Amino acid sequence: MRRGISAVAMAAAIVLGVTACGGSGSDDTSDKGAAAKDPAAVSGTITYWDTSDAKNEAPTYQALIKDFEAKYPKIKVNYQNVDFGTVEQKFKAAAQSGKGAPDVIRTDVGLIPEYASLHYIAPLDGTAALSDTQDFLAGPMNTTKYEGKTYGVPSVTDTLGLLYNKDIFAKAGITAPPTTWDELIADSATIKAKVPGVAGTYVNPDSYFLFPVLFGEGADLADPAGKKVTINSPEAVKAVTEAKKIYDTSSLKIDFASAYDNMQTSFKTGKVAMLIQGPWSVGDDLTGSAFQGKESNLGYAPVPAGSTGKAQAPTGGHDLAVYQGSKNLDASYLFTQFMTSSASQQTIAGKNGTLPTRTSAYTPEVLKNQTIAGFKPIMDTARPRVALPQVGSLFTPLQQEYIKILQGKSSVQDGLDAAAKEFGKLLPGYTVQ
Amino acid sequence: MTATTPLKYRGRGERSRGASLALHGTLIVASVIAVFPVLWILFISLGPSSAWQQPHEVLHHLGLSNYRFVLLHSDFPKWFRNSLIVAGATTVLGVLVSASAGYAISRMRFPGHRTLMWTFLVTQMFPMAVLIVPLYNLLAQLDLIDTYLGLILVYCTIAVPFCAWMLKGYFDTIPRDIDEAGRVDGLTPFGTFWRLIVPLARPGLAVTAFYSFLTAWGEVAYAAQFMSSDHSTLAAGIRTFASDQRADWGSMTAASVLIAIPASLVFLLVQRHLVTGLTAGGTKG
Amino acid sequence: MTTATMDDPAAGTAARPPREPRPGLMTSIRRSWDRYWYAWAMIAPVVIVLAVLVFYPLGYGAYLSLTNANETNVAKDIGPVHIGATYHWVGLHNYWQVLSGRDGDFYPRLEWTLVWTVACVAITYSIGLGMAMLLNRKVKFRLFYRLCLIMPWAVPAFIGVFAWRLMLNSQYGVFNDIITSVGLPAQDWLGSPLSQKIAVIMVNIWVGVPFMMVALLGGLQSIPGELYEAAEMDGASPRQRFWNVTVPGLRPVTSTVVLLSTVWTFNMFAIIYLLLGNNTTGDTDILVTYAYEKAFTGVSDYSAAATYGIVILLILVAFSTFYRRQLKPEQA
Repeated sequence: MRRGISAVAMAAAIVLGVTACGGSGSDDTSDKGAAAKDPAAVSGTITYWDTSDAKNEAPTYQALIKDFEAKYPKIKVNYQNVDFGTVEQKFKAAAQSGKGAPDVIRTDVGLIPEYASLHYIAPLDGTAALSDTQDFLAGPMNTTKYEGKTYGVPSVTDTLGLLYNKDIFAKAGITAPPTTWDELIADSATIKAKVPGVAGTYVNPDSYFLFPVLFGEGADLADPAGKKVTINSPEAVKAVTEAKKIYDTSSLKIDFASAYDNMQTSFKTGKVAMLIQGPWSVGDDLTGSAFQGKESNLGYAPVPAGSTGKAQAPTGGHDLAVYQGSKNLDASYLFTQFMTSSASQQTIAGKNGTLPTRTSAYTPEVLKNQTIAGFKPIMDTARPRVALPQVGSLFTPLQQEYIKILQGKSSVQDGLDAAAKEFGKLLPGYTVQ
Repeated sequence: MTATTPLKYRGRGERSRGASLALHGTLIVASVIAVFPVLWILFISLGPSSAWQQPHEVLHHLGLSNYRFVLLHSDFPKWFRNSLIVAGATTVLGVLVSASAGYAISRMRFPGHRTLMWTFLVTQMFPMAVLIVPLYNLLAQLDLIDTYLGLILVYCTIAVPFCAWMLKGYFDTIPRDIDEAGRVDGLTPFGTFWRLIVPLARPGLAVTAFYSFLTAWGEVAYAAQFMSSDHSTLAAGIRTFASDQRADWGSMTAASVLIAIPASLVFLLVQRHLVTGLTAGGTKG
Repeated sequence: MTTATMDDPAAGTAARPPREPRPGLMTSIRRSWDRYWYAWAMIAPVVIVLAVLVFYPLGYGAYLSLTNANETNVAKDIGPVHIGATYHWVGLHNYWQVLSGRDGDFYPRLEWTLVWTVACVAITYSIGLGMAMLLNRKVKFRLFYRLCLIMPWAVPAFIGVFAWRLMLNSQYGVFNDIITSVGLPAQDWLGSPLSQKIAVIMVNIWVGVPFMMVALLGGLQSIPGELYEAAEMDGASPRQRFWNVTVPGLRPVTSTVVLLSTVWTFNMFAIIYLLLGNNTTGDTDILVTYAYEKAFTGVSDYSAAATYGIVILLILVAFSTFYRRQLKPEQA
């Protein structure tokens, strides 16, 4: 019997050992994941999850963090680079469990409504995080709002524009970038005829890149006010028909598994004359044979307009948000404020070429950057997406149907009807026509 | 060295030239298919960072710039260390735990041994990935989030059922007389297992080690979810080279080659035992 | 407190083997304990780890599948926010939703999952057997061939898949370079759902052959040579020797590797996702990738994902029970 007892004790020891080792091995500062602690216990260390490009952009943010720590010597920032593809899932798992979540997170603007509706991120109105708010551009500021409260602070902004290769345009005798989708199709035909081996454009099958076409016809995913799914409205059908026409007439054939890479490569090596793209891609463009050493060859224009005559593209970019369960909200607010200040934004813009979200950050110095100068006027065409928590879920069915349409496996109407049906499942209370 | 597995049937002197040619031809084609993708990555990694777009350019621009970036200017060395810790510990723990369980099931007719074998199979049927959030919460409660131990234990749950199942089969092939001898010498069952059986089971253990190591070395989803970037493993870490919208394939290929090297070394160490080890388990499973 | 919640299920499952035999008398329990504690001690580490990290979450998943839990209605205890759970018991509703085909996705996904599994396992097995038989002959450079052929197994799967993705690129991939240099038209290898399906099966076979080959090679080596000699003596042709000696001799290995690789292929998550990326029509999703998508795009649907997980488990349990039962009488 004594042996038996020792075996039980051994088993127990394993379980306990497991727990104990875990406790000592972990270096996270959180303890019970819940109730706000009294301010005296604040340790002064905050964790920041950065999603910027680890190779080209992150060093700028890391340098800024050094400055922050110098300014506030009692606060230490634990910098973590999390890759953009993983961050949503990773943050949500950590946020709901209360363990392993960062205090401050850099997040895609499209995720703010989702995080806010799930109570993962803290409202920032009246906190130190938001300072000098009238200085922020309206578009980016708009992305931080959910149900009347502010859940983020704009850090960088972007939108989609039309990037074009001026050399190819000159060779084809085109003097100005197209201003409507039909012009884009016509110009592509000219290019194809006059510049051998070059195609007009490369359509990105990611549904985010469908927005400019949708907006151009006044269409959108859904109408939150009327509680209606609008992705199969006549306007949307018209828009996607146009997109399909662009693909059929003006685009290189998409490689669906490597669309983004091939699109970029084709453009930067001069096989494609124009792209609907965002400012984040310019750095990569400049490494290609078409633009390396001749940055001036890259032209910037707003996205073409649809039949409504309006050229519009979604507001993108990144906001800083504060985790609701942060043990050190005060330090988090200060950090957020510091990183989004005009001075910080000027540094970031200067080093990374991303667009600031503050009016005052567009200094003459910053505007010397050609990407920023090129995209600044385009920002006027940016408009927010519908602020629905489920927006992230809507992209998948839309994308799948869009690809079927592009591949000719579904008609535009059928594809969008199918997408609308899926939207209906994801948006409770919404009507689907 | 192939002589370690003597041929068991039929003299083969009489194979015709044509047959020999066909045999070698088939094997060469198959080998090329097996090896080409790996060599291709190696080839691309030696070019400039955009080499994947212009493979024919690689030979004109051979260089180690991708490796230089990966080794000197990224967190690769840190991830590498983390991966070594995690994979090493998973291997040791996985082999120990599955060997002792495999031995118990092979030698001791205790109530529940059948259920246990069945359980090992069932654990591999459920797609744990869909429960990653409950699993996260569980690990958080145990304070195992972002710890090596947590990840090691999770990897053991993947590796151990297969390994224990396999080792049970291997132990079955070791004559029971040896156990008897141990008992006569006054060894405890565990002593018998540890002193007499384990040394004889080396091929089986080698395969188990290989399998456990590879499981931990190449796993992405759990590592990405549970570990912060300081404790990130290679497979999860190199994702920062290739996000959806800014893929740095140059670094990616160099990192892939560097990741494949230790895995291949482990493979070379155990490959002698691979055939005997794996099948003994398989035949009796 | 953290361990308290854990102890329950852990102890429950861990203790199941001991408690299972004949209920009742303390003495019989004690006797069985005295007899078997050694075995139980040796299996305890496995049982505890599996109970805590697999069976507890699995049980929890089974529970979730009977509710309508999703990310919006589970309990939240984040900083100043304390919201109780508002999801509720829905019985078998989720299963009905899936199995009746009302969600519209289950049967198409199941169909492709079955095609994928059968194709992968059958082809992988055939090629593995072929290679094993070649390697089992006396042949020069055998070690070299063997090392080459096992290579795909020695390299982490995601690297292999990554290599294939680069090579299959329609514009910049080496395959099309080779093809066009010989004058053939370039192919869009990953261009349509059908070609994508062929491609993922192909890559999965590439990854899976070495395991099969090694296992079957061992199986071939364990067939006593006398059997072949006897068959040859009886005048059996090579083909007859294959069917009458090799195939029956391999049966034990075959039954195991086929079962295992069916289970693994059915739930093979990484290859499809890594090879095709996000821009798919959804036709190439197998059940497990579909469930994963459900769980992780946008607001997570915990209960639906768990339901799919359990359905997958049940399908595989049913299959393996059936499979082993089929094999047993023949084996005897």
